[in-house]
Amino acid sequence: MERQPVDITRLAPLLDKFNRTRWGLIPLLQEVQETYGYVPPETIKPIAESLGLFPSEVEGVVTFYAGFSLEPKGKYVVRVCRGTACHVRGGRSILRLMKKELGLEEGETDEDYRFTLETVACLGACFLAPTMMVNRTYYGRLAPSKVRTILAEYNGRAEQKGE
Amino acid sequence: MARLMSIGDLEWYRSEILAQEERGRTRVNICMTGCRAYGASDVRDALAEEIRSQGLSQEVEIRSTGCHGFCAKAPVLSIDPLGIQYQEVSPEDAPEIVRQTIKEKRFIDRLSYRDQRTDSVIPYRNDIPFYKAQVRRVLANCGRIDPTIIDHYIAAGGYQAVVRALSKMAPEQVIDEISKAGLRGRGGAGFPTGLKWSFARKAPGRPKYIICNADEGDPGAFMDRAVLEGDPHAVLEGMLIGAYAMGAEEGYIYVREEYPIAVEHLTLAIEQMQELGLLGENILGTGFDFHLSLKMGAGAFVCGEETALMASIEGKRGMPSPRPPFPAQAGLDGKPTNINNVETWANIPLIIKNGPAWYAEVGTEKSKGTKIFSLAGKVNHTGLVEVPLGVTIKEVVFDIGGGIPKGRAFKAVQMGGPSGGCVPAQYLNLGIDYDTIQRIGAIMGSGGMVVMDENNCMVEIARFFLSFTQSESCGKCTPCRLGTTQLLEILTRITRGEGRIEDIGLIQDLGATITATSLCGLGQTCAKPALSTMRYFGKEYEDHILEHRCAGATCDAMVISACQHACPAGIDVPNYVAAVAAGDYERAVEIIRERNPFPAVCGRICIHPCETKCRRGELDDPVAIRSLKRFASDWVFTHPGPPPEPFPVRYKDRVAVVGAGPAGLTCAYFLAELGYGVTVFEAQPVAGGMLGIAVPEFRLPREVIQAEVDYIAGKGVEIRYNSPIDANHTVNDLMAEGFKAVFIAAGAQASKRIGVPGEEEGLDGLHYGLQFLTDVRLGRAPEVSGRVMVIGGGNVALDVARTALRTGADEVQLFCLEARDEMPAWEKDIEEAQEEGVLINPSWGPRRILRENGRVEGVEFERCTAVFDEEGRFAPKFDESGTRSVRGDHVIIAIGQAPDVSFLDRDSQLERALWGTLEVEENTLRTNIPGIFAGGDFTTGPTYVIRAIASGRRAALAIHGYLRGEEGRLRIVDEKSHLKDDLGLALEQETVEEVPRVPVSMERPEDRVVDFREVEQGFTEDQARQEAVRCLRCDLEKERSEA
Repeated sequence: MERQPVDITRLAPLLDKFNRTRWGLIPLLQEVQETYGYVPPETIKPIAESLGLFPSEVEGVVTFYAGFSLEPKGKYVVRVCRGTACHVRGGRSILRLMKKELGLEEGETDEDYRFTLETVACLGACFLAPTMMVNRTYYGRLAPSKVRTILAEYNGRAEQKGE
Repeated sequence: MARLMSIGDLEWYRSEILAQEERGRTRVNICMTGCRAYGASDVRDALAEEIRSQGLSQEVEIRSTGCHGFCAKAPVLSIDPLGIQYQEVSPEDAPEIVRQTIKEKRFIDRLSYRDQRTDSVIPYRNDIPFYKAQVRRVLANCGRIDPTIIDHYIAAGGYQAVVRALSKMAPEQVIDEISKAGLRGRGGAGFPTGLKWSFARKAPGRPKYIICNADEGDPGAFMDRAVLEGDPHAVLEGMLIGAYAMGAEEGYIYVREEYPIAVEHLTLAIEQMQELGLLGENILGTGFDFHLSLKMGAGAFVCGEETALMASIEGKRGMPSPRPPFPAQAGLDGKPTNINNVETWANIPLIIKNGPAWYAEVGTEKSKGTKIFSLAGKVNHTGLVEVPLGVTIKEVVFDIGGGIPKGRAFKAVQMGGPSGGCVPAQYLNLGIDYDTIQRIGAIMGSGGMVVMDENNCMVEIARFFLSFTQSESCGKCTPCRLGTTQLLEILTRITRGEGRIEDIGLIQDLGATITATSLCGLGQTCAKPALSTMRYFGKEYEDHILEHRCAGATCDAMVISACQHACPAGIDVPNYVAAVAAGDYERAVEIIRERNPFPAVCGRICIHPCETKCRRGELDDPVAIRSLKRFASDWVFTHPGPPPEPFPVRYKDRVAVVGAGPAGLTCAYFLAELGYGVTVFEAQPVAGGMLGIAVPEFRLPREVIQAEVDYIAGKGVEIRYNSPIDANHTVNDLMAEGFKAVFIAAGAQASKRIGVPGEEEGLDGLHYGLQFLTDVRLGRAPEVSGRVMVIGGGNVALDVARTALRTGADEVQLFCLEARDEMPAWEKDIEEAQEEGVLINPSWGPRRILRENGRVEGVEFERCTAVFDEEGRFAPKFDESGTRSVRGDHVIIAIGQAPDVSFLDRDSQLERALWGTLEVEENTLRTNIPGIFAGGDFTTGPTYVIRAIASGRRAALAIHGYLRGEEGRLRIVDEKSHLKDDLGLALEQETVEEVPRVPVSMERPEDRVVDFREVEQGFTEDQARQEAVRCLRCDLEKERSEA
């Protein structure tokens, strides 16, 4: 699937909201990302202009923080925790299995933008270790069979909606 | 909600809320934060529906609360005012909870906490050990109030501290009380909060800022998250007081975006405060202004560092800057700024409301108050724990945390995340406060405690943390950017088995440089995980580098399957288990014998490290590997084929072995297999060494030992009985007789003495453990009758106690220094002994043997309060007031064994090492005389049979190398058997469902104590094959992933 063209008109209200706001760059980028699912490179210049910054400053911030992405992400963002507690309880094999099942490496998105595989430093859900998040839902005490069931569920959802 | 215009308004508002709260109403508190991942919402909905349908809506309130702390048993709910807590609740339980507990006030066993040890049901929250040992101050509201409703917080006494501060205290007074309370920063470094505040107060410049650091990024820490989610107003009230005290007009909360529930609850809480007039201009009509906003982080760990955090709030890349200037002088926007962490802020209202004296009632001299720890990793009760500072790590991990799952051994607890270090078992009795933890190389940090058990590899843990800091290093300063990369590279190559011995020194040098020269805390502490694991687990680093051994059996490069790697002898476990599953028992035994010529012995008494590491154990229970080994070897011995053919002799060099125990015979067997002629010299008339002496008949029948010895002899090993090597026939004589090499494996048979008054040779009724067992085995046992007292807590002591029961004792009492859960004996043996009627008296140390007319009368004991000191050294402490005399007819001392070296020449060239044994090179078992090797219990002190066997095989390979002129170290790596089988077993099944382990049948205790029959009966063929297919074939998984 081709990347969808970016609807730049959706940016204007956001820029208005943060126009020249002191220290507004990060909150603005967060809203841009919320709107588009990522920070489209096309938006960097207008963002810089509206805040009175150089585009390089904006890009510097976007690339510094792991939370921002210049690439579109899948409908379902799978974030496997690589925190200590998950690690000591076999989180590594969950990640390995996830890579195998999705056919993706860390940071990759599949061709039809269904899944993105990411790792996260710690989800702060150590009591559930090993854990992962799919979008905003937590899954804990993972075992290979459970991972397969969860993925099957999301795959089913994606297909039902004809995506 | 109307805006509150004065302090009186707030008080009036509070009394109004309290008046509206209906008395006698039942409240169901259900965790809607952490437990959400376990379907807590469905449980809540089901309960609400049930309450409605049973017409109880007026009498029952369902509250969506924050974390109850007991996350291990999620979803958790509590029912007040009954004080009942239920765990692992599902929506289907709703009707029963409403009918039985809410209506009829009866608790439900099934949903209550069950104590692991006593198996008793504990329905009341305050009686559950997890809560009993805690002091929940900061967490008092968590799990009790709905964090999205400010009225709940106010009703629980919230904002009373603000009232007190604004109406009765000057700002300086507030700071003074915080200082007096002794509060130290809960974010990690432990800087005194009052002092920090006074800097900010005194700093010139306007506006002033305060910041709440809620960028909880330490992997393994989740206490801030729980406080923000479960009681956000506590943090906000703390900030309000702080703003007043420091004269700040603006505040920020910098929170991780990975915590959506925390963001949601904080946003709501701030809105509610604004509506009530608790934020903004002229708060409560006192003329005090304060504005507060929320800033979300964007996923950079380094932003937990205060200067980086401020850069991030300003919308820049979150990179740290050098200090000074400190934030109090020039922080956010160059203005005076104070930053505290979530938990620190949440402590403030408690101090102001209850006073510094109350606050400092708990804690240690230099660390006051309580601390929240998030307990995770290999511990039964994962969750949130709040304890007074100064409690021991043991109390947190074992009393509250419920110990390590599946009976595995505790290895270390990681404290302080990537900036912290590992605290090993020897410090379990250490009280936790900022300074002690710092002293032993870890840090308190934000309070993350990740527990590790024997299945974790410490090198791999260090590598893990470095991969974290390396990827989170912001790149601004060179030492951190390049240093973390270098450290990670070195640690990675060690875990891959490509390390060099110089790497150990390199890590230390590099670590010191990075620590000294990095710009911020991230770099300055990044080496700590490596340095602290190296300090306490240096042997693991060396083993990875030199021996290709990984103690946790997790490093892929050196491990084919964890079971095989865990076996000291390196037996290819999955393949022989597969052979059992296929019904080919001869092949199974053949595979075992590639590494161990004692399959039937080990099938009975091996401590099976393989099962401890078995991956199936993560799923349900480990495969019963030991019992499968026993079944296969018993089958082979009862279906004898043609007699064994001796191994062909290929070399003319002959080798002598001293001692026909497991180490000696194993060495002889493998030398014979390699093609050498071997003669074993045994002092006794029978072979088997300690097997035939120390292990009682009911655990290991004589004929089993004999069958193994016959097989070994049949393969060409010559055994000369009644042939002691002593002053009349020395090791030197053996060399003169033409043996080209000698392996000394003479065991450890001398019983240790306690050294207390009254312990005298020849005292009637006084015996020593090993001698007693030997005498019983040889049929010359002394009559024991009446009450027999056994002293010691190890395996030999247990064997002695159980043997005494079978040889005429009316009653057997065992006394040991250790507490029950610290006893070194194998748990299985302790349980079997108790079943048979042995009474165990833990924590008693002998003070004096009582005697009369040359006969034992009893023993005087004193209470042992600790076996090891704070540093983990053996240094028993006694409570002198707690003495106790016990009368008894016989005393058997079994506190340990040492090798008997009386046969060595006094002027022996063989140096004597610490143990009173020989000095040997650990890797090749060489002594300082060429051609003479020593091993087994003789050099290491008593261990387990499988270690003696491994030592014997090592000796055979070393001697082979020596005789073939190959110098250098041995590297014994895991190998697949050439008899391997690709039979898939459980791995092939689509769904790996829980299939419980097949239990081994045992003789009933009342039957078995009357004679020496074997206690364990072993598997039937059907049972064995059923059990064998439970194997997951981890070895095949690895081959496939590499293919």
